[in-house]
Amino acid sequence: MKRELLRRSLLSGVAALFLQGFSVAALSQSVDCETNTSIHCGSAPSAVFDSDGRLWTTFVQNEQVFVSYSDDRGKSYSEPVVVNPIPEDAEHNGENRPKIIVDQDGTIYISWTLKTSPRFTGEIRFSRSLDGGKSFEAPRTINDDNLFAGHRFETLYQNQAGHLYLTWIDKRDLETHLANDREYAGAAVYYAVSKDQGKTFSKNYRVADHSCECCRIAIAPHGPENIAILWRQIFGETTRDHAIAVLTPDGATLETHRASYDEWKINACPHHGPTMVQSSQSGDYHMSWFTNGDLHQGIYYGKFSFDSQQAEQVFRVDGNPGAGHPYLGEFNETLHLIWKGFDGEQSTVQLIRSFNDGATWTDPSILATTTQGSDHPLIVTHDDGLYLSWQSDEYGYVFQKFTDQSESLSSD
Amino acid sequence: MNMAMSFKNSLIKVRASPVTDIRPKKSVTWQRLSFVLLLVVASNSHADNFKPFTADSFAEIKQGFQGSEFLVGLWSVDCPPCLVELNMMGAVLEKNPDLPFVLISTDPIADRDSAVEFLEDFNLQDRESWMFADNFVERLRYSIDPNWFGELPRSYFFDSNHQVQSHSGIMTMELLAGWFDREIEL
Repeated sequence: MKRELLRRSLLSGVAALFLQGFSVAALSQSVDCETNTSIHCGSAPSAVFDSDGRLWTTFVQNEQVFVSYSDDRGKSYSEPVVVNPIPEDAEHNGENRPKIIVDQDGTIYISWTLKTSPRFTGEIRFSRSLDGGKSFEAPRTINDDNLFAGHRFETLYQNQAGHLYLTWIDKRDLETHLANDREYAGAAVYYAVSKDQGKTFSKNYRVADHSCECCRIAIAPHGPENIAILWRQIFGETTRDHAIAVLTPDGATLETHRASYDEWKINACPHHGPTMVQSSQSGDYHMSWFTNGDLHQGIYYGKFSFDSQQAEQVFRVDGNPGAGHPYLGEFNETLHLIWKGFDGEQSTVQLIRSFNDGATWTDPSILATTTQGSDHPLIVTHDDGLYLSWQSDEYGYVFQKFTDQSESLSSD
Repeated sequence: MNMAMSFKNSLIKVRASPVTDIRPKKSVTWQRLSFVLLLVVASNSHADNFKPFTADSFAEIKQGFQGSEFLVGLWSVDCPPCLVELNMMGAVLEKNPDLPFVLISTDPIADRDSAVEFLEDFNLQDRESWMFADNFVERLRYSIDPNWFGELPRSYFFDSNHQVQSHSGIMTMELLAGWFDREIEL
């Protein structure tokens, strides 16, 4: 039923990826996706490096979540290990993908959204491996309301203190209001925390009512214990701009602010979630998002300061039609922003960089292009640079470093 | 706004398992076999009138309405507000059956069984209906409107000269009446 079943043969010959102006022979093997389970055949992958430099990936294929690792920076991958032996309808699209984290002890954490009946409902699923990815615990449901309601668009994050945060979009309050014949705009943002490496999770905590229903949530650290989250929120009746909040491991929402003023008045699903990283220089929050509001149209960047409680240095990254799905990464005090565009013929992954904490930016350069379908581009951070993580029909899974030594030196 | 109330009605049915899609293969043998399989699938499973929407389809739709006004509604099974709009359009078309309305689902056509369930809920299953049939969705979206970012629901009204107006978000009776320049009964 899914497209990965139909993909017959990928990666034949040399994929022409243009990275930093160089043509890169990215992948040269061929994978038969009708008979193989492979990251090149799966959908909506996520990736992360562990502390030993091993690359871990997770993806969905045939209603199963798999984990596979690479010891050669994505050139070859281990035989995938299944996380959910009983297939279930795991969401696998740009805004809604399985997530993976590997902690200092080598414990692997996986989360995903299970689509359930009835419509627009789901459960937040979680599993972990305590044996280095050889096997995974039986998946657990983390939302604790026992309702067939929407619990979707989860994000998994582990901070410096080791607290494991799961945030998601939740419709339990919508259901409660409906049951009482009351109106409720949008959904809500909820979260849960594990302080024991995923053995147990706290009860579910509500962050905010009236979030947008269908956009990914971005997470960044806020001190060793807390996190900051950025999401699309409904302001007033229909304005779908962004809010930022600080969450504690004990369920408190310390502060919530409006993070973007775009005045996108729309009663629809944008399917465009934001991205956020914390600045290593100022401690402020680099944000990027898509809007089509009265004030702003296109992809935007802004730096949010909890001191001034507003976004500064707001900058239009790309106002061209087809631009979307930005992703931020910082390396060696250089901020990198990638996003996807479409020029009528091909999709492009573009890059801009800032050497002064987002005050000014380079002109865009093209990292990769394709004339077939592709996923949102993501950035994976490692201590030797930043990597593009990008699934495409044409090339399979692309994992390619786009910062190099000379660049990191020149950024000083 | 009774958007929330409408959601409630939509939560009754369970999802059906999508059928496996079958595409023609390169070899002659496969082409023949696929043709037979497609016939089997078409006659047994696809009790719907979805047409595969490709990069050329929008031009084909416009061609079909040459010199006439028509309305296009873009929707997805993954879009709660779209259900509110489908609910409304179902009611509108019951009272105004001649309203020229074309549906395009942005879901992959392999998921057609899920999609037709939604349309049946609102008695829209017999309307002209298309589903995205190319994984390169950016190109499909561009073929409809380069300035559409993919948000749903999305509507286009073409007047008889094919001057076009668009709307993002749930359709309203006021918009419909304005676009068609007449009173629309609900």
